[in-house]
Amino acid sequence: MTSTGPAFKPGYALPSEVLEKLRNLLGERFSTGDADLLSYSHDYWPISLQWVLKGSFPWVPSAVAWPENTFEVQEIVKTAYGNSIPVYAFGGGSGVLGGTVPEKGGIVVDLKRMRSIRLNEEDMVVEAEAGVNGYYLEKYLNSKGYTLGHIPQSIYVSTLGGWIATKATGQFSTKYGGIEDMVLGLEAVLPWGSAVTLPPHPRTSTGPDLRRLFIGSEGVLGIVTRAWLKTCILPEERVLLSYVSETFEEALESVRRILKRGAKPAVVRVYDEAETKRHFYMFEEAYGRIMTVIVVEGDSGIAGAERRIVEEEFRGRMLGEEPVKHWLETRFMVKEASEFAPLGVVFDTIEVSVGWSRAMSLYRSLVEAVRAVKGTLFASAHASHFYPQGVCFYFTFAGVPRGNPEKYYNDVWEAAMKTTLENGGSISHHHGVGRQRRSWLKNELGPAFNLLKKVKTALDDKGVMNPGNMGL
Amino acid sequence: MPGKWDWLKDELRASGLAGATPLVIRFISGRLRGPDDLVKCALCPNMCRHACPVGIVDGRETTSPAGKTRAALLLRQGRLQPTLENVSPLYTCLSCNACSVWCPFGFSVADLVRPVKEKAAGGGSIFKEFREVFENLEKHGYVYGEPKREDSGLHGDLLYLRGCTLREKQPGVAEKAEHVLEELGYRPFTIDEACCGIPAYNLGNTRLFKRVAEKQAEKINSSGAGIIVASCPSCVYAYRVLYPKHGVKINAEVNHIAEFLEDRLKGFKGEGRVVIHNPCKLAFALGKPKALYNTLSSVEGLTVREPRRSGGETFCCGYGGSAVPRLNPQLARRIALERGVELTEEAETIVTACPTCKLALESNGFKVLDVMELLHSFTSG
Repeated sequence: MTSTGPAFKPGYALPSEVLEKLRNLLGERFSTGDADLLSYSHDYWPISLQWVLKGSFPWVPSAVAWPENTFEVQEIVKTAYGNSIPVYAFGGGSGVLGGTVPEKGGIVVDLKRMRSIRLNEEDMVVEAEAGVNGYYLEKYLNSKGYTLGHIPQSIYVSTLGGWIATKATGQFSTKYGGIEDMVLGLEAVLPWGSAVTLPPHPRTSTGPDLRRLFIGSEGVLGIVTRAWLKTCILPEERVLLSYVSETFEEALESVRRILKRGAKPAVVRVYDEAETKRHFYMFEEAYGRIMTVIVVEGDSGIAGAERRIVEEEFRGRMLGEEPVKHWLETRFMVKEASEFAPLGVVFDTIEVSVGWSRAMSLYRSLVEAVRAVKGTLFASAHASHFYPQGVCFYFTFAGVPRGNPEKYYNDVWEAAMKTTLENGGSISHHHGVGRQRRSWLKNELGPAFNLLKKVKTALDDKGVMNPGNMGL
Repeated sequence: MPGKWDWLKDELRASGLAGATPLVIRFISGRLRGPDDLVKCALCPNMCRHACPVGIVDGRETTSPAGKTRAALLLRQGRLQPTLENVSPLYTCLSCNACSVWCPFGFSVADLVRPVKEKAAGGGSIFKEFREVFENLEKHGYVYGEPKREDSGLHGDLLYLRGCTLREKQPGVAEKAEHVLEELGYRPFTIDEACCGIPAYNLGNTRLFKRVAEKQAEKINSSGAGIIVASCPSCVYAYRVLYPKHGVKINAEVNHIAEFLEDRLKGFKGEGRVVIHNPCKLAFALGKPKALYNTLSSVEGLTVREPRRSGGETFCCGYGGSAVPRLNPQLARRIALERGVELTEEAETIVTACPTCKLALESNGFKVLDVMELLHSFTSG
């Protein structure tokens, strides 16, 4: 594991004046207790789940803080900056790449106590603090007749701040877009403790878009504390469609034609043969073939037109609503790590994106490359997010390594990242970079990685914001 | 139809690994015992966090549902010492079981961490805040100390059990409940009831729970009742679910009052607009998420509203599970306030069917009626 951040000693005790200041500021919302420190020594990175299993954590923070407003975040960050103490913003902890693990010790700032929501119905904009739970926010909007349209698999767990920090996207993204398409404005606390507000506008032409500096910044440039997001009216109509195709390529080509005509189904998911068998084994007609599930939704006039386009362009056998209902019912069943990790089975997913012209080449090469890593039991994929320009492949692999599980895990990632870059893909579609992908970020960005480093240094001259994450 | 794991068998066959992975083959054939439930929960990303009032309002990983099982796992592994500070996250649980609704395995975090709590308590890690409860239960079989002596009512056709909180704090509700039952044609009677024992169970003292349960069962069974109606859903949960699990038998059929009345209010007339707070024990532990709504919806002329989090997604009042209001009253209060504000967006008057919920919301400034108080207001009495 490599790190380019400054060498803070993990788990060290904070200076007494820092402890006193933060205790005075936060009272019981500041802790150095063992149970709290260990709770924040991991996230949902498979490597860190092994630490949970063993009860042994290589990286432990020195303290955890639960601010309740932006001022308190500012005070914590200002104090940390003044004492060169690392700071890690923490949301739901559902990141799968180690983006929040406190690699250099320091203070974890958990934002979940900041969760106010304010809806402006006339402007169709919702203002929310960064720690609001995703499902809580969506449910609130639904009760008022709106939706954000951002439904990641982690929605029960994750927070708005986490979505922005990782540049997340959701299952309904083909219609509603990723979080970057929803954020109209934001407030962030900068590494030295000042707060900056970029207010919401329908559109602006006021120089480089500074909001984008923080979207996907994974806590290395500051802490996002609040955001203003677009909302949509709850769909009047929802249409569920599914198809069986003979080949993966044929199904993807059908989706490409649909998008080319301008239709935007909210959900499109195309499963390769192995994943069709895995997720849809109860639909015998699909077993050994390719399953596609589609959800079209919105105003009934628009949804009707989009449905017609889907039906005209998809070349495959229609299977009706049942497979889509099955997907809707099971889409949040996250249990593989719980079942397999304790048995010594390494199980993980890797999502990458690629243009249509090289999509099949990347898919085939990556599955082959992962299967070639000794110990791999299987490698499969589904296409989970679509654009007129290309697609996101969501690969799943599992293996039973003979030797060191971490080595096997990293070998698979090495093979997958290398193959993605060789095939002109992007190494991450929506999970972000974190600590697992950091070694490959510079390969993808090339000379632009130096630009990113310069931005980081310009904003965070002491390197206190999530040091080591993203290789920064 | 192909089986659940056929895809994996196909993959292993295709890659020539079918014979090289005995562990996986044993697992998918069901011959390998997987990890225990506490480990499974600890390795979950917290897929029930959104439903957990503590998880949402407290916002700490340590007291989130999976955070509690991770702390329990560390305690079990000996990586955390069983000090009161380290054990306290396990008690920061309302025992509402909302987690079990969303869990892919159906786990209740309260149940998963109970053995670790009990072991720590057995080793002396008992909070002083619990001692009074244990002493009262040991000495008087009653949570609030020595109960006032009461004459048992006349024998009737239906035993009405009030529970400690209603009996001690809301005696007027009990009188009104009896009156409504009489209006509906029943002859309710009461006994000098003791505690069901659930506070001891929640606070990690299962042995005491069992002793209290046995005494209470003896009192109930000796009344000769054939049907029991109770106002407290936690008591009903104890009688219906926990007692049989611990070898204690109640002879009568036990009903919570909201489920008992679900189809018995035909022709009942009322008025006004209320919002219902569905008690978590009724919705989750007893599996009756619509009972209160159905009961009140059958009252002609009454407008019944539900809050954002209702039915199978109801949100505990913050005072459930016995431990949180004793160890962390501020958190209990914050949860109650959040719930109360959400409820009163729909109507000024909150109606519930649990003495603890009424106490929690009322003590935080909201106007709350027990379902029987509301129904009583529509009767001639």
